[in-house]
Amino acid sequence: MPVDDKKQSTAEDLRKTRTYGKFRCHNPSCMGRLQPEALQQQVKCPECGMEFRVHWIRPDFPRIRGPVWEVNRKLADEAFLKLEEK
Amino acid sequence: MALNRKIAYIDLTSGKIEIKSIPLEVRRKFIGGRGLDAYLLYNHAKKGCDPLGPDNPLIISGGILTATLASATARTHIMAKSPLTGLLGSSNMGGFFAPELAWAGFHHLVIRGQAEKPVYLFVHDGEIEIRDAQDLWGQTTTETQWSIREELADEEVKSLVIGPAGENLVRFANVMTGIKNSGGRTGMGCVLGSKNLKAVAVRGSQDIQIAHPVEALEYNKRFIDQITSSKVNQTQGALGTPFIWGATNSWGGIRTRNFQYNQLEYADDVEPERIDEIAEETIGPYHMTGCFACQVHCRAQYKIPSGPYAGKYDEGPEYTSQGAFAGEPDCKSAETVLTGNHLVNQYGVDNLEIGSIISWAMELYELGILTREQTDGLDLRFGNDQALLEMVHRICTRKGWLGDTLADGGVPASEKIGKNSFDYLIQVKGMSNLHSDERATPALALNIATSSRGSDHLRSRPAIDLYHLPEKVLRKIYSSPVAYDGPLSSEHTSYQGKAWQVFWQENCYMAVDCLGICKYHTLFLGTTLPNFEDWPKVIYYNTGLEFTPREIWDVAERGNMIERLFNLREGLTRDDLKKGDTLNHRYFDEPCRRGAPDVVGRKIDRDKFTKMIDEFYQHKGLDPKGDPKPETLLRLGLENEPSHLV
Amino acid sequence: MAQKILKIEHEKCTGCRLCELVCAVWHHHVSNPARSRIRIVKWESEGVYVPMACQQCEDAPCAAACPAKALSRNQETGRVELDYDKCIGCRTCVSVCPFGAMHFVPIDRKVIKCDLCDGDPQCVRFCEVKAIEFVDEGDLGRHKGREAARRIHSADKKAAELQSG
Repeated sequence: MPVDDKKQSTAEDLRKTRTYGKFRCHNPSCMGRLQPEALQQQVKCPECGMEFRVHWIRPDFPRIRGPVWEVNRKLADEAFLKLEEK
Repeated sequence: MALNRKIAYIDLTSGKIEIKSIPLEVRRKFIGGRGLDAYLLYNHAKKGCDPLGPDNPLIISGGILTATLASATARTHIMAKSPLTGLLGSSNMGGFFAPELAWAGFHHLVIRGQAEKPVYLFVHDGEIEIRDAQDLWGQTTTETQWSIREELADEEVKSLVIGPAGENLVRFANVMTGIKNSGGRTGMGCVLGSKNLKAVAVRGSQDIQIAHPVEALEYNKRFIDQITSSKVNQTQGALGTPFIWGATNSWGGIRTRNFQYNQLEYADDVEPERIDEIAEETIGPYHMTGCFACQVHCRAQYKIPSGPYAGKYDEGPEYTSQGAFAGEPDCKSAETVLTGNHLVNQYGVDNLEIGSIISWAMELYELGILTREQTDGLDLRFGNDQALLEMVHRICTRKGWLGDTLADGGVPASEKIGKNSFDYLIQVKGMSNLHSDERATPALALNIATSSRGSDHLRSRPAIDLYHLPEKVLRKIYSSPVAYDGPLSSEHTSYQGKAWQVFWQENCYMAVDCLGICKYHTLFLGTTLPNFEDWPKVIYYNTGLEFTPREIWDVAERGNMIERLFNLREGLTRDDLKKGDTLNHRYFDEPCRRGAPDVVGRKIDRDKFTKMIDEFYQHKGLDPKGDPKPETLLRLGLENEPSHLV
Repeated sequence: MAQKILKIEHEKCTGCRLCELVCAVWHHHVSNPARSRIRIVKWESEGVYVPMACQQCEDAPCAAACPAKALSRNQETGRVELDYDKCIGCRTCVSVCPFGAMHFVPIDRKVIKCDLCDGDPQCVRFCEVKAIEFVDEGDLGRHKGREAARRIHSADKKAAELQSG
């Protein structure tokens, strides 16, 4: 038998690390795990303060729809100001 | 069996057609698809040939797994010298064309010469006819396909076609099949136009023997289950590729107003969820469709909800249409995205390139580099949806000074417009960048800078770099099938080990393109999708050929090196802004201003970037100038190219 | 034992044709849609895809018309079966089938028809979107009724929402 069917590949093996019902904060260096309540429409990251709108692909499968724009804009402007001060 | 599919050499000038087998030796060296296309191009194109002349060979192919029992073996690959970049032209599309080509008995078509009058090819069960296409000239992409079916009285005929943009030699015209499957990049439609070749129609009913059918069925079930179980593909299946644009915009990785900002704010009307609502409202609850034998079904169907094209049926939009008709030109209307998507599909033009180039012109207009006289009175400011769509018409029909100028592609247009317009052109090797902004992600910046067909995300992007995977997981992925014990970093802003990740992905994507399967079925957006370790099984069960993961890697590396050799022969030099492995100065000079707090202020560090390129060249076996070392060519068995094996 | 049949909901079909592929491979060990017993009929310009397969008719026109009596209904399995020893290859069944579900394969010069893969239809097994399901024949109406009821119910709910403004 030239191929071993029983052996799991790396891709198959990594499947066990998958989590459902959660997503990660979209602030790239934060990536805090967020777990919205069932059908909750908005969620705030406790780590970095970013706020996101939530879309439910299925009742057990939420994803970030996008940031809450006002909050995002304020955080971005503050961050930019800080850089300019430096 | 898959292995006895043929190569056909078609000369449109003389009408001569020659059909050849593919020797097993060639299969073992290049497998098929893009890898073998690159070999054929390098062997059959003359150095410095005119991309729009008869000597430019146009190659159309499926992969070794096309139409066999593997998942999503739908991809068609098209290759030639690019009339947009003057370097490698290469484009890949889904749909149903390549499987039909395989059932007709062929894996590769090499089309040379130039027909005197418009023609189309009809490939059917081992035979090829050159047919008159004068009546088809001028028709849109879908009209052409339906006309061919009517003429041949067969609704099962699948065609690869060009639209008016290809006929008008727009340098970034695409080839299309079905409603929206497009071989978009590098202007392959323009090459068809230059050959007076309106379409390639195929119809096949020849058996493709499956080497181990029982095992192939069982393994394919497991393979599909692995592919469809990933969260990324479940999201694709619900929202299509717009979800990638949405997620990227959410953190600030979408370039806006050409390259002035990195996020389209308050973009609720063009978010994937909104697009999905429109698809649901206009089509119904089951509005997702797919390519051949694919269970991910990432393509939406929709009707334009409002405006002058209201009620028109189309498919998509993909994330590139969101980039082209929302992010870059700073427009925020779903109607514009869906209409723009429809127009580019009908004209047959690359949505990505046209969106990028119009938003570049918008910035030039706002800066006063382009005058209102040059735009023929069009108020080409950002956010002007009507001007954006009008420019699509003008470019595709070469109407007006600006339409005609932009239709020649960014670099020639910048030379015609003059002043410092080139400084604002966001391109690599003459091809516009995707709508994404890579300033916060050095690995992705390296990917677009070094991609063989010019700026591109589908050649070597380590998209998972943003997931901050533990180093242990990264090592598990990136140290197989070739051992790697150098640095790897979970941090997306780091420059550590990124060159290896890009090198690994470059080989992964080349392998996928040789097999003829879709990139959403490998390690692109999801970590649990199949790659080198999984492929030997699919190849063996379907074709009977035995490959180790390492051998597939070697084939991929060889394919990438042949592409490099082609580019070097056509003038690629490392630091050339128009033909090299480098980026527009704005990546290094202008910091991100929007997005997540952590993204604000990010830009690429020039010194670290240069070191990353050095490192990338080392992995590839190139010298610091970017030329292959003799021992690398020897190792890959490419020391005698062109070797003319087929 | 209850007999089972294919339940096809064309609205759910994505048009991918994997069913055609697995049908041909299971029966003939080759990839070739010309050998598939199930076929997706498409109107691509409207995005409509309809899987067409044998309905295993109670009073099957193919069986009634077959001059060689090669087609008959197996009372035990409920399937309309084709006996190749009797078949004379006249293609009468292909012409009379109201669903176009009988096919003639020029390569073998033989007709083919759906045999439900001996009770484990591969088209069903591989269709992730469940456009084709294998259900007890008595339940088909119940399934269809439930889906229609769900549509009516959600329309009612939407109307009520609109009214309450």
